[in-house]
Amino acid sequence: MDTIAAPAVGHPLASSASSEIVVAVRDLSKIYRQGEINVTALNNISLDIHKAEFLTLMGPSGSGKSTLLHIIAGIDRPTKGECHVQGVDVTRLNESQLADWRNQNVGFVFQTFNLIPVLTAFENVELPLLLTKLPSRRRKEQVKVALDLVGLSARGHHLPKQLSGGQEQRVAIARALVTDPSLIVADEPTGNLDSVSANEVLGILQALCRDAGKTVIMVTHDPKAAAFGTRSIHLEKGELVE
Amino acid sequence: MTTLGFIAKNALRNKRRAILSVGSVAASLFLFIILQVGVRELTLPVEDVGSASRVIARNRISLGQLLPAKQKPTIERIPGVEVVSPFTWFGGKFRGEEVMFAQFAVDPDAFLKISVDAHIPAEQAQAFTADRRACIVGKDTAAKYKLKVGDRMMIEGTYWPFDLELHVAGIYSGTPDDRNIFFNHKYLDEASGGGGQVGTWWIKVRSPEEVGPVTSAIDKAFMNTSAEVRAETERAFQLGFISMWGNIKTLISAISSVVVFTLILVSASTMSMAIRERFRELAVLKALGFRRRELFGFILAESFGLSALGAMLGVGGCWALLTFVPATTLTGNFFPTLEVTPRMLGLGSLVAAALGIISSLAPAISVARMSVVEGLKTLD
Repeated sequence: MDTIAAPAVGHPLASSASSEIVVAVRDLSKIYRQGEINVTALNNISLDIHKAEFLTLMGPSGSGKSTLLHIIAGIDRPTKGECHVQGVDVTRLNESQLADWRNQNVGFVFQTFNLIPVLTAFENVELPLLLTKLPSRRRKEQVKVALDLVGLSARGHHLPKQLSGGQEQRVAIARALVTDPSLIVADEPTGNLDSVSANEVLGILQALCRDAGKTVIMVTHDPKAAAFGTRSIHLEKGELVE
Repeated sequence: MTTLGFIAKNALRNKRRAILSVGSVAASLFLFIILQVGVRELTLPVEDVGSASRVIARNRISLGQLLPAKQKPTIERIPGVEVVSPFTWFGGKFRGEEVMFAQFAVDPDAFLKISVDAHIPAEQAQAFTADRRACIVGKDTAAKYKLKVGDRMMIEGTYWPFDLELHVAGIYSGTPDDRNIFFNHKYLDEASGGGGQVGTWWIKVRSPEEVGPVTSAIDKAFMNTSAEVRAETERAFQLGFISMWGNIKTLISAISSVVVFTLILVSASTMSMAIRERFRELAVLKALGFRRRELFGFILAESFGLSALGAMLGVGGCWALLTFVPATTLTGNFFPTLEVTPRMLGLGSLVAAALGIISSLAPAISVARMSVVEGLKTLD
């Protein structure tokens, strides 16, 4: 496992949330091959994200914000550059190591919730814990805590189709939280929600950041959603812009 | 929730498809096992306690060529030979219809000594030997045609150009095939206008160890005569009959292979479709930290589970049918020993296991190759 260098003091992108850097991206590029054409999704991005920061990534479609999020979360690989998350260069991990790392360190929240339709809310939240060696009783305790945090402890036995969109997304947040990861990545988590539900979800993410010290990275198009974050950065054509 | 519970919920998420998949596996394996039972039935040599020391001698040219009756004393003189009986197939109709039982003309006294497996009351055996028109009937045939001692039987000749009028002197049981009828060869000789010919010779040898030398001696005794013989053990003789079923056996084996192959295609297609529909979910599982081998395990277990359930219904159903339902009787005793053997149960289970594994391979490979991002994108 690689360790990262200390953050450069006075870096223009440094956050005031905490001095501890959780994510350090260095000279990151991602080039896709589409037929005969190379498409640059990310172009030499460097970025530090601090502990307990709620960072929002904004930008037009195709600007590379989701690609950046995916690489930081360890579900995509860059063409070049480094991405250190809590001291680990995720670009150097193999598939199996990455899977373990994601399970222990990253919580995912997707735009379309992506709950397993045949499992109840409780079972959906429990799913990542099946990979741990926790006994069943302990797993259940952790699931209850996670559902409590998102205010859905009474809905544990409901199937996703029996929940509203906002509730489904809160279950997804509980699933992201249940392994107690330090990093939560959310790809347009309010994109499919009405404004009331969106505010609830954003409020939960904000509270996780503020009260539980989680680092949250959220991709959004919505400036109102971005206002919930502690810092917002913009990407255009694969590059960071002021 | 347990991992097994998760797999079961996934396997049964589309209940109609799961039921149809299990049903198709069950029906195909049922058919597969029935075909195996059929092949075994057609090719199983009848074996009983006395068969090890019995020899059959037939015309070397073919079974259809008769042998001269005058060969009998020569055979009787061969060391090791205990008893000799003519054994001639009659092949007639009973009550105007083709029948499932064979009629053989024998020497009653010799027959009772050779066929040590046949249980028959002493007075009935005596009646059989005393009357030229007497016959003894296997208990299955007697039951089927409601025949009892003292009844008359008119057998209409189809191979021989005359009919037989027999009366039932006894009913025997205890042989591997209690369907046949045995009557006095002298009656056949009379009816055929003097006799002098037999179909085959049925010989009891003193001990199983002497069977080899006796068969060689019989062959040598009639070498370079107008009616050379081929003597062989009863089992070898029966296997010779079985070889006539060779093409049918090949045909049934080919049908069985097609059944299995088609089943694999159908199952593989169903599994691929089921997994294709869940690509996004599998991508999410990957994102949550599930590794390739765990996802492969889920897919394999799901496929294996459905196949196993199908096998339990198909193979188990076939076993139950042939064990608890009188299938032998339902086939009019045409198939006397219908049974699913442990080997067939094993073969059915093996096919089901292979089916489960092969069906899961293609979807498992495509899931392994899928990147999380592509998996999420494709279905978004």
